[in-house]
Amino acid sequence: MGKTNSAQSALDLLVLTILERRGPIHGYGIATAIQDLSQEALRIEEGSLYPALHRMEEMGWITAEWKMSETGRRARFYRLTSAGRKQVLSESEQWASFTAGVSRVLRHA
Amino acid sequence: MSWLSRFRNAVNPQRLDEDLGEEMRDHLERRIAALKESGLSADEAERQARLSYGNTTRLREESRDFRLWTGLEGTVQDIRYAWRGMRRAPAFAVTAIVSLALAVGATTAVYSIVDAAILRPLPVFKPDQLFALSSPDIHDQGSPAGEDRTSFSYPEYLRFAAVSKGAARLGLFGFPNRVEAQGPGPQAPIEKINRAYVSGEAFDLLGISPAVGRLFSAHEDRIPPPHPVAVLSYEYWQRRFNSDPGVVGGNLTIEGKRYEIAGVTRKGFFGVEPGKFVDVWLPGTAYEERALAEPEWHWLQIIGRFAPGISSARLEAMLQPSFHEFQVNAVKQFPTIPAAIRDQFLRSTIHVRSAAAGVSGFRETFSRPLWIVFGVAAGILLIACANVASILLARSMARASEMGMRVSLGAGRMRLVRQMLTESLLLSIMAGGLGWVFAWLLAPLLVHSISPADDPVQLVLAIHTRVLLFSIGVSTLSAVLFGLAPAWQASGAKPMSMVRASFGQVGKLRLGKVFVSIQVACAFCLVVAGAAFVFSLGNLLRVNPGFDARNVDVLGITTDVAKSDDPVAWIATHPNEEARLRNLMFQLRDRIASQPGIQGAALAMWPIFEGGGWSEPVVIPGKGPSEHEEIFYRVSPGYLATMRTPLLAGREFDVKDSEARGLAPAIVNEAFARRYFDSSNVVGREFSYGKSFHRVVIVGVAADADYYDLRTSADPILYLPTEGLNSFTLYVRSPLAVGQVVRMLDRETRVLGSGMRVRDVTTLETIVGNTLTREKLLAGVGGACAFLGLLLAAIGLFGLLSYTAGRRTKEIGIRAALGARRSEIISLILKEASGLMTGGLAIGLAGALAAMTVFRSLLFGIRAVDPFVIGTAMAIFLATGLTAAWLPAYRAARLDPMSALRNE
Repeated sequence: MGKTNSAQSALDLLVLTILERRGPIHGYGIATAIQDLSQEALRIEEGSLYPALHRMEEMGWITAEWKMSETGRRARFYRLTSAGRKQVLSESEQWASFTAGVSRVLRHA
Repeated sequence: MSWLSRFRNAVNPQRLDEDLGEEMRDHLERRIAALKESGLSADEAERQARLSYGNTTRLREESRDFRLWTGLEGTVQDIRYAWRGMRRAPAFAVTAIVSLALAVGATTAVYSIVDAAILRPLPVFKPDQLFALSSPDIHDQGSPAGEDRTSFSYPEYLRFAAVSKGAARLGLFGFPNRVEAQGPGPQAPIEKINRAYVSGEAFDLLGISPAVGRLFSAHEDRIPPPHPVAVLSYEYWQRRFNSDPGVVGGNLTIEGKRYEIAGVTRKGFFGVEPGKFVDVWLPGTAYEERALAEPEWHWLQIIGRFAPGISSARLEAMLQPSFHEFQVNAVKQFPTIPAAIRDQFLRSTIHVRSAAAGVSGFRETFSRPLWIVFGVAAGILLIACANVASILLARSMARASEMGMRVSLGAGRMRLVRQMLTESLLLSIMAGGLGWVFAWLLAPLLVHSISPADDPVQLVLAIHTRVLLFSIGVSTLSAVLFGLAPAWQASGAKPMSMVRASFGQVGKLRLGKVFVSIQVACAFCLVVAGAAFVFSLGNLLRVNPGFDARNVDVLGITTDVAKSDDPVAWIATHPNEEARLRNLMFQLRDRIASQPGIQGAALAMWPIFEGGGWSEPVVIPGKGPSEHEEIFYRVSPGYLATMRTPLLAGREFDVKDSEARGLAPAIVNEAFARRYFDSSNVVGREFSYGKSFHRVVIVGVAADADYYDLRTSADPILYLPTEGLNSFTLYVRSPLAVGQVVRMLDRETRVLGSGMRVRDVTTLETIVGNTLTREKLLAGVGGACAFLGLLLAAIGLFGLLSYTAGRRTKEIGIRAALGARRSEIISLILKEASGLMTGGLAIGLAGALAAMTVFRSLLFGIRAVDPFVIGTAMAIFLATGLTAAWLPAYRAARLDPMSALRNE
């Protein structure tokens, strides 16, 4: 399940970072967090968040469990695993070098 | 972790689907609530929420693909579907599973014995490097060659070890023998164990380490052995001494001699002979002194390990000159040896054969019968497979419209085949599991059935390892065998023809006929084989052995005057003891014979029919030494009367005959008299025997009697008066129970003293029966399998006829409406039945005749083309076929024409 497109890896990085900073959180929480933090600049198809979460769960980066949420209903909460933590580091490095590369090209072209 | 959850989700996809649905719903509800809060109407909030979520079905499928194992999900679906199918037709499922399980169980049980006795390598270090020495059997002219000689003398062993130095290591391995052992302490019980002699290096050669203490070393090869020591097997140590490591250094008394226990072999080592577990090993040098010196005394097997790069041909070339030298000397020792036998001796060669799976007398006797039984079991399996296949076929025809529907809905052919095969695999796996349990129960019973009571066959039936794999393999193979053809047929359903009536069924019916023919052919072969084995056993049981085996107890008696492995040799060196022992023996006989309820008692050197024998060439005055060596047997007065062997002329022995010096009185049987004197009027004739020309005079002529077994026609026998022995056999004819006779003997032996006591107890019928274990095995298993095969074939025939008769309902209805009589309709169905059977019978007959030539040597009184056997099998078969056909025929005949026609 190697990543091929940068959009997917960007989404992974966003989700993983949110999980790292905000601890156990459900899918809806992640979706609103991305929207709020990016000040609505990043508009993702909300539903596509879930296959991404499930893929990362199968990769072993995150785990999930059903818990009672603040509204008193059952919700699936996601949490980072230690493998996920490593993944955040390496992906953010990659992202940083990718964006640095892109901005260098934009500046000097 | 993740594959586990994917596996779980594939097996139970419903939970996953609920999970995914709930998570999606949760998200949407939250979004709707949030949008409503921001002031949107309920409808608009829901519209926008759904819009921003995206395509729910596609996203859900995407998640599903991540979270379950799609390939497995299809398989699980297939299994569910198959399981439901079986639940819908439980009678079919149970019949199929049980019949297959019986067949798999029988095959697996026999295979487990074949594996343990014949195939499995010894559990020792690099068993493929091991070899055993042997040489061809030397046999009388005219009689067939027997099994190879694997026994050698101690001088031969020493010489072979010396000349093969560097090319191989040789070890001495004695044959396991039943002996009496007594643990440390005076109160310890005396019990029978298996003892084997080995050379000092034998354990090291096999790579066997001690569990406790030490094993033998070159130290033990010195003559005489410095200190008598014994090594126990792990299993014996566990069973007898509760795995107490303190036994090392303790004493073990074997046949009256004391040995210090040196150690215990590692777990799982039972000797080099599959079929017998050795309990105690003794150094070969602890055996008889003469056995270590005399080259004629063949008592040991030689097993060795090749040095790297040495071939068996190379080793044979190294050993042959020494072997030939021994053969030349052997011939010189026996001047009376017949010329034909002398030539065989001088031409004889030594063979080096692989001993990776050990050396085994059990294997020699039973390998052919076991393979035959294995073939019989495989035949049953084939029948069972054909049976299940034809039922599956019938069912797939019933499901033809379902298949047509699925094909028209776009199901791929491979998908349908896969699904049908899943069904047959499910059947076969369940049958395999059940069959394995059957095998696990059956195999020990089979081994038990071929074991003499006092010397059981012991095999490591590793039912959980290779045998399990075999079981799985057989079941899977059978699933493919019986599943593939119906699956292929059914999946080829043409949607249109299924919708229109049932065309295209002719081909399927032809396949059904093929299955029935296979069953008929196999079952007929089994019935012929079963009949042949049963008749063969019957023939043997009807043989008149020349004595009356009923109500004769055979008792082994010992005294502790002197212990010896060879009583005859011992007597020759202890003349004074001989008279004392003889006196004791005769006193015991007289005391027993005078008890109430005892009809006769007689002494002999060993029991007949147990393989013990003494044979010599005889020298008739005016002629050279005889071509044959004849059976010599020492008995006491009253022997012929006790055995109820008629005395035809002259007299039985009396007590004084044993004291005769010079000219010994002898009784010969008719066969002997005919062979050497051409007459039965031979009382008073004299001749001599043996190396030193002992002279005898005939005082009586007895009727012919068998000596070794019931198979050979009566051998010439020469009876001589008994000598005093420290271990002998007492025959007691009495209608009393064996236990009563033994109690009586215990009382009398205590009175007589000298440590005289009863050592072995059996009956003459048991001894004679033990020579028939092979025949009993074949008759029992062959007969049972023939019955099972016949039953399965009858079920198959019945099933197909019922089906075809059902399909012809309309035709039969028309016939009945047009005035056909019931007998005509019955004969219509019966004609079809005989048509079905003829082809199978023809193939079966050919197969049976071919099989009979293979079995021939194991049969007694049965010809290769035996009309009686074939006729009986045919009669049984036709009767069964008729029975199977009768019910469908009867049902067809009772058909009401109106309802039959309306049904269509």
